[in-house]
Amino acid sequence: MSQIELKNLRKEFGSLVAVNNLNLTIEDGEFIVFVGPSGCGKTTTLRMIAGFEDPTSGDITIDGKVVNELEPRDRDLGMVFQSHALFPHKNVADNIAFGLRMKKVKQDEQARKVKEVSELVRITHLLGKMPGQCSGGESQRIALARTLVTEPSNFLLDEPLSSLDAKLRRELRAECDRLHDELQKTFIYVTHDQEEAMTLADRIVVMNQGKIVQMGSPLEIYGDPVSYFVADFFGNPAMNLVEGEFVSGDSGLQFKSPQFTIPLPSKYSQKQPGKGTLGIRPENVTIGATDAAASINREVELVEPLGKDTLLYFETGAERPFVAVIEGTQSVERHANVDVGFPDDAIFLFDETGARIR
Amino acid sequence: MAMTKSQRQLNFSIFRYLVLTFWLFIVAFPIFWMVGTSFKPDIEWFAWPPVYITENGTLQNYLVVWADASEYSESVHTQSLQRPWEALGNSTLISLISTTLAVLFGSVLAYGVSRYQILSEGRMFQLLMLRMVPPIVLIAPISIWYRALDLLDSVPGLVMLYFITTLPYAVWMSKSFIDEVPREMEQAAEILGASKWQTIWEVVLPLVRSGLVATFLFILILTWSEYLMALLLSKTNVVTLPIELSKYQGSTEGRVYGRQAALSVGITLPLILVGIIIRKHLVRGFSFGMVRR
Ligand SMILES: Nc1ncnc2c1ncn2[C@@H]1O[C@H](COP(=O)(O)OP(=O)(O)OP(=O)(O)O)[C@@H](O)[C@H]1O
Ligand SMILES: [Mg+2]
Repeated sequence: MSQIELKNLRKEFGSLVAVNNLNLTIEDGEFIVFVGPSGCGKTTTLRMIAGFEDPTSGDITIDGKVVNELEPRDRDLGMVFQSHALFPHKNVADNIAFGLRMKKVKQDEQARKVKEVSELVRITHLLGKMPGQCSGGESQRIALARTLVTEPSNFLLDEPLSSLDAKLRRELRAECDRLHDELQKTFIYVTHDQEEAMTLADRIVVMNQGKIVQMGSPLEIYGDPVSYFVADFFGNPAMNLVEGEFVSGDSGLQFKSPQFTIPLPSKYSQKQPGKGTLGIRPENVTIGATDAAASINREVELVEPLGKDTLLYFETGAERPFVAVIEGTQSVERHANVDVGFPDDAIFLFDETGARIR
Repeated sequence: MAMTKSQRQLNFSIFRYLVLTFWLFIVAFPIFWMVGTSFKPDIEWFAWPPVYITENGTLQNYLVVWADASEYSESVHTQSLQRPWEALGNSTLISLISTTLAVLFGSVLAYGVSRYQILSEGRMFQLLMLRMVPPIVLIAPISIWYRALDLLDSVPGLVMLYFITTLPYAVWMSKSFIDEVPREMEQAAEILGASKWQTIWEVVLPLVRSGLVATFLFILILTWSEYLMALLLSKTNVVTLPIELSKYQGSTEGRVYGRQAALSVGITLPLILVGIIIRKHLVRGFSFGMVRR
């Protein structure tokens, strides 16, 4: 068993607070994903767990033991760096065997394990090459193999797929998933790709400015974001977010933007009027005949067929165009006027500070 | 009318060859003349119009200088003061020891500066600025202390002098190579279970080896050809090659250029030899890009 706990973990660089009193318990075997915008402190957190960075205050415990004073190599961790950090002067086999050699594993045992792990990540054909002769995706697997072979209880992966093209990224993402299933070890994975987070994580930790904004399963994060920030971060295409005002109308609270006004579901009728944002996911927007209480009539600005789905773009005065996803390649013409519906349970409201109004 | 692309490329390569030729001429001509003169008989040393390639090639200069074959010498000058082999021995000993020490200590210091910020970049620069003080102005204090410590005119004295004066270069140069090794490379080794020493030995050293070799050669050249301080801090007991070279001017017959050239060739050859032995490292070391990412 191996449980990692971060207690009030804090890191300052001069006057900059990179990680701001983080509290988090990571269970044995969990696949946890840190996401957040650039500079929010993901790498710093990971490096503190690894022991490359000393916390300004707070504790890191592994299995109940405080490890703040422990050297990285004594923490039973494996880390895959964003840069892969392969040793350029050693061939692939020697790179992989490095950790075993440092741990004084016997020669024949080393050879056996290197062979085993390279079959696992499918790089047996690369063993004799130098890292410089390997492609990005291959280097990635080698870095993974080099860490896997030492059989740590916890894996730290810092944006391991960020430098790869989309297809390779999907492939290796699936591979990470498979490895996690197979090994049943703890994975702590950093990314700023929301899709990676959604597909891989048991639990997502969303960070912003050194703080945890929300954590939960991918579905919780997606379906029940606590703030504008989280709602905006997850989903592709992103959630439609229209700025405007909540005003009292005849039948309760209404949302009023410069371009349209719609009634809000009755559960919000007791909320305070004021400035705010209305959000709705593109796939929840209804087009055409609708039983949604709120709808607006709008001209379709652009039709983008994606094969399985079709994206419709509307102009609503927001920064980004308002997007609706409809299934299949339904024949909605450009410039046609359609009814755009906002089903009650698909509406998210955020106040001026970005906090969710429930 | 606009030039076509191929015209531009042609013009550029003409320009490039002109520049390179000019540069080669400036660099190579003195060397050519040195080697040429070393094979010329006395009368051709000053001849006008100059003799570019002698037709009366002779080894006499070499014999006189290196084999003490004074009986073959037609010019009259005292041989007693000239000890080229001894100078060669001294220079070799002094340069090798002081350069090794400078690179050894320099790279360790550089590692500290690069990885542990024991000195800020600004301080580093100040350190190098100290070296900009003309060495000659420090001769008085050094002489006084050397006299007190009995280091004047001794091998250890010169070794220490060169070690101290070249150390900043060694730090500066090897730091630039160590900076090239990504920290994550070291941390990867560490988290895989390597100790600090194993990390340095297995990861850092192999990656900066070429750089350190380049640093070594650079400092070796500095030390090997240093004249001024050697002139003032030694002379009679310990003679180095540059000092020896300066002796080849008789008081009666003027400079004996052929002999000097022959000695010069002897001074240059060992460096070229070292360069050839370590050339694999030099190409990589001087290109500063030895870490492939
Ligand atoms: N060694 C350091 N010295 C000073 N500031 C640092 C240092 N390392 C990180 N920071 C700062 O701390 C903050 C958090 O950095 P961190 O690398 O953890 O961000 P991140 O979430 O990993 O971002 P990214 O997604 O771009 O990798 C940033 O503002 C960064 O500039
Ligand atoms: Mg990062």
